[in-house]
Amino acid sequence: MIHVEHLRKTFTTRTGRFLSAGRRTHEAVRDVSFHIPRGEIVGYLGPNGAGKSTTVKILTGLLVPDSGAVSVGGLTPWQDRRRHVARLGAVFGQRTTLWWDLPVIESLRLLRHVYRIPQGRWQANLSTFTDLLDLGPFLHTPARALSLGQRMRADLAAALLHDPELLFLDEPTVGLDVVAKDRIRDFITHINREREVTVLLTTHDLGDVERLARRVLIIDHGQLLFDGDLARLQAAYGSQRELHVEFSEPVPDAGVPGLTLLNHEPGRATYAFTGAAADPIARVTAHAPVRDLTVREPDIEATIRRIYEGDLLRAGVR
Amino acid sequence: MTTMPAPPTGGHVSRLSRLALPWAVARLGFRRQFAYPQAALWGLITNSFFGLLRVAVLLALFGTRPQVAGYTPQDAITYTGLTQAFIMAFSLFGWFDFMRVIHRGEVTADLLRPASLLGFWAAQDAGRALGQLVLRGLPMLLIFQVIWGLNWPPGPLAWAQVVLSVLLAWACGFLFRFLVNCAAFWSPDAVGFGRFAWALLGLGCGFLMPLAFFPEGFRAVLAWTPFPAMLNTTVELWVGVTGGGAAWAALGTQLGWTVALLLACQVTLRAGLRRLEVAGG
Repeated sequence: MIHVEHLRKTFTTRTGRFLSAGRRTHEAVRDVSFHIPRGEIVGYLGPNGAGKSTTVKILTGLLVPDSGAVSVGGLTPWQDRRRHVARLGAVFGQRTTLWWDLPVIESLRLLRHVYRIPQGRWQANLSTFTDLLDLGPFLHTPARALSLGQRMRADLAAALLHDPELLFLDEPTVGLDVVAKDRIRDFITHINREREVTVLLTTHDLGDVERLARRVLIIDHGQLLFDGDLARLQAAYGSQRELHVEFSEPVPDAGVPGLTLLNHEPGRATYAFTGAAADPIARVTAHAPVRDLTVREPDIEATIRRIYEGDLLRAGVR
Repeated sequence: MTTMPAPPTGGHVSRLSRLALPWAVARLGFRRQFAYPQAALWGLITNSFFGLLRVAVLLALFGTRPQVAGYTPQDAITYTGLTQAFIMAFSLFGWFDFMRVIHRGEVTADLLRPASLLGFWAAQDAGRALGQLVLRGLPMLLIFQVIWGLNWPPGPLAWAQVVLSVLLAWACGFLFRFLVNCAAFWSPDAVGFGRFAWALLGLGCGFLMPLAFFPEGFRAVLAWTPFPAMLNTTVELWVGVTGGGAAWAALGTQLGWTVALLLACQVTLRAGLRRLEVAGG
């Protein structure tokens, strides 16, 4: 569905004014390559300014790269933009495509003409989405009067009425409460499964990624740092696992050979370790009587924070 | 690589269904104007107040003279009523909508629609203009009719010419406004340029004063600009200052400016979008 080869994009910005004016170039995307097969959900992650939206703009045909090859569903996005955009849907969480002052249904009706959706198809999709996203209660409410969650659901429906094969989602759950987030994530999973819609998800919400994406791309400073599935990311670059131990009685010295002691209070201790938990547990229980213990997995957020902060991957590990 | 069904393109679509999109967009542009009826009412009250003021000033100018530059006092009242009525429909005080969309980066959403950008905005503005004509224009004419009585076009031919001229004035005005808004592609503070352009528009289209009242030399200069085609031509046709063969010539001039501005818009928009594609938003 998406093929990207050696993509490069540089922006030139003018600095200063008049006589002192100079130019500064900024490489937004440096030699990025990836392939996304049809029907996959891919999380595209990176800190602000990493090059995410530049990539998305190139993929949607809004920007022309300096070099590299891009093919989306067989088309070069910027060369045949109108045909290209007819086949994709997009939701930018911070913005709406709905007509602000008019009932939601009016915006959805207009899309029938924008994309020339056959009446029957439009009707069928609208009723499916109305069910799945529970649009019924606010279809006749002006967009300006919707809650953020309702607006997001309406925007999702608007992006999918024309049966796009590729969906760009940018922060689709930003600012939503837990229940609203869940509903949107369920819907995205559903349309991906039932309709084989390929989804490229850019987000800072790692909950979205964990729930939706089988695969993640991580970009920073314009370079792709990681491309693979979440489990591999965690296994390869996750921070260490933690062993939380509660002793039967206060232990004066909690040091255990082979384990890193992270924290010690009389009666409790936390150790860091890598690999399987059996051996560290055996060592701790041999050291002192233990009442209870838990193993805590590193969370993906911590892993990704470490990657952004440059602890890992800087050496160009792919 | 997967194959996707070919998206519908214009080739096999009938002319009628090609009009479905602009019609639907114009309909929404029209409907949206009725979302804030109170604002429209207060706008109408403000326009009426300034209308009264302008009539008072113009009548004072006439003094005891029966005619000024071909206008009778009754013509001058009609001129004022018409120009007040068209303020909103023709956006005579300026229009920054497209500029705002560019500055906020929302133009990307526009570009993700498989439709002509200029066509979409034109249809939307046509609906907006008609909505404002109904909400603010017709009540204004009614108010003038009740207070002073207006001159009306004398027959079906004159009416047809006036209607045609209103359409062309809107088209010229919209294209000019769109063109000015395109400056936002190049400058983050294009608003100032816009204000200057609207000042020129107000002066050159005959909103401040009927163009016939200006000195000969100034009018000769204005004749080489599209501004008279955006309002003054319509008013002179309505009032009857322009009639006979001159009426057709005036309509031809409006049409010519419409075509020229359309070309200018297309060229400028293409250049602006190219800049966006290269330099980003």
